[in-house]
Amino acid sequence: MIRLLQAVLGGLLTGGVYALIGAGLSLIFGVLRVINFAQGELVMLGMYLTWLLFTFLHLDPFVSLIVVMPVLWMLGWALEALLLDRMHGALPQNQILLTMGLGLVLSNGAMMAFTSDYRLVSTTYSSSSFMLAGVALSQPLAVSFVLTAAIATALWVFLARTDTGMAIRATAQDRDAAQLMGIDVRRMSRLAFGIGAALAGAAGALIAPTYYIFPQVGGSFTLKAFVVVVLGGLGSVVGAMLGGLIIGITESLSATYISTELKDVCVYSLFLIVLIARPGGLLGKAE
Amino acid sequence: MKRAWIPAVIVAGVALVALLPVFVKSDYPLGVMIGVLLAISLGAAWNIIGGFAGQYSVGHSAYFGIGAYSIVVLLGRGLAPWWGALAGSFIAAAVALLVGSITLRLRGAYFVLASIAVAEILRLLALWAKSITNGAEGILVGEFPPLTLAGHTITDFTGKPPFFYMALGLAVFCVAVNAVIAHTKLGYYLQAIREDQDAAWSLGIPLSLYKNAALLISAALAAQAGALTATYVSFMDPNSMLGLDVSVRAVLVCILGGVGTIWGPVAGAIVFTLLDEVLLRYLTQSHLLGLGALLIAAILFLPDGLMGLVTRLRQRSRA
Repeated sequence: MIRLLQAVLGGLLTGGVYALIGAGLSLIFGVLRVINFAQGELVMLGMYLTWLLFTFLHLDPFVSLIVVMPVLWMLGWALEALLLDRMHGALPQNQILLTMGLGLVLSNGAMMAFTSDYRLVSTTYSSSSFMLAGVALSQPLAVSFVLTAAIATALWVFLARTDTGMAIRATAQDRDAAQLMGIDVRRMSRLAFGIGAALAGAAGALIAPTYYIFPQVGGSFTLKAFVVVVLGGLGSVVGAMLGGLIIGITESLSATYISTELKDVCVYSLFLIVLIARPGGLLGKAE
Repeated sequence: MKRAWIPAVIVAGVALVALLPVFVKSDYPLGVMIGVLLAISLGAAWNIIGGFAGQYSVGHSAYFGIGAYSIVVLLGRGLAPWWGALAGSFIAAAVALLVGSITLRLRGAYFVLASIAVAEILRLLALWAKSITNGAEGILVGEFPPLTLAGHTITDFTGKPPFFYMALGLAVFCVAVNAVIAHTKLGYYLQAIREDQDAAWSLGIPLSLYKNAALLISAALAAQAGALTATYVSFMDPNSMLGLDVSVRAVLVCILGGVGTIWGPVAGAIVFTLLDEVLLRYLTQSHLLGLGALLIAAILFLPDGLMGLVTRLRQRSRA
């Protein structure tokens, strides 16, 4: 029973990070109709930026969020303006390949800049844990889960309650109609990509104390983020949050009860099953 | 038949390429040419499902890796490589049938993601099944038994020329399969599906039958490319044979050359391999940086690939 609880709570904590990455991916897809294959690489950049700030300025990884998020936001904005803006209306597969190329450039660029050595952000609390209901939980992951929840709430308030947020949702719902209503849809695309990148960067900063940092780390996050987003329904930010938690728990349960090596096989199998049974995702409408 | 000279030119071209090992004796250029031929095979294999049928699989490493592991594992158990290669194609085709019947009803981005998930599952299983694949440590490929015909040894598979001829044979075969498909009912149906699935369906084309047939042929050919690559490189591990890189390479070759054209994979493979060779020299382990940049540039400036450029230039010269 304790083992089950441990697996579920541990999975929930990692799932929070997946939720954040997935929410960014989902927002980008909703507004731009592009699946960003470089999402994991943006997480990787967030991790390296956190590592730089920690190593050279001794900035705490959780505090570095206030630097990492704006920097990644600007990067996302620039990438949209330079690359994706020109691809509007292009074949979906070409858009996918474009972001794949971007991912390769980012990960190999990071390899040139930082070499392929494993980096660590070893804070005093990196390996400390605390007990909750008889279950040991990682302290940094718990802090990152709380921050994730805060960021997710802020995102929700922004999308649901502000004029700009409403304009973003309108663009996602019907680009042409939004344009006819006087919304600057190209600006909304940039904004959405910027926010998506900032969320990925935030996830990178939040997991920096508990993960190895290396140039190829992004790939696995990209794949996880897809699974998360498809589970929740492409384009649905709330769905992505739910999907993230489900994937975190699935991963942790299969690591506990099946095998650590096969946990991702279980995750991808679940993904295929959901894709076949409910192609529109758990919350999404079937297309 | 106003263009009767074309087959003659092709035959002459292939014959010319086949004569190369007679004149080129050093290993490096031969190695690069083998690389080109293997890339043509993989690209042409992908082109059937991705190019003609328009189903962008980014998981072709699955079939490539099945081919590679089949021949090498069976060779290690004492089975002759030809049977191993054949077994690889059959297993790949069977897996393709299973995967296709599940994922080919998905559309657009969903199909792309499902294809990646399948390849990733196979890669992780290969890492896990250490008793068969030796896990992440990989397998050193055993020596080929010499090929004998009526008591005469034809080749003992030392040096590069035997692999050059096998790669040439496979590349010619894969391109020929593309050409045959392009000019038969299967090809026309696939192109109709690519252009508009719903319209094709309403005209009575059984979508899933034809898409599955395309994936099956594509997978069987990709397995051969994998089998030959693994035995040529003579070392394999799950990441190099079943990793996302392989799938991206298959797509990139076709994007560069021209998706859904017979000569696209050939043009793409030549440009891709030569460029990668140069990048490997200057960027060493970061050479994929150059490929990523190339991919971005190709999609922004040459969305129809090199063959599209050729068509455009030809139209301009006519006008």
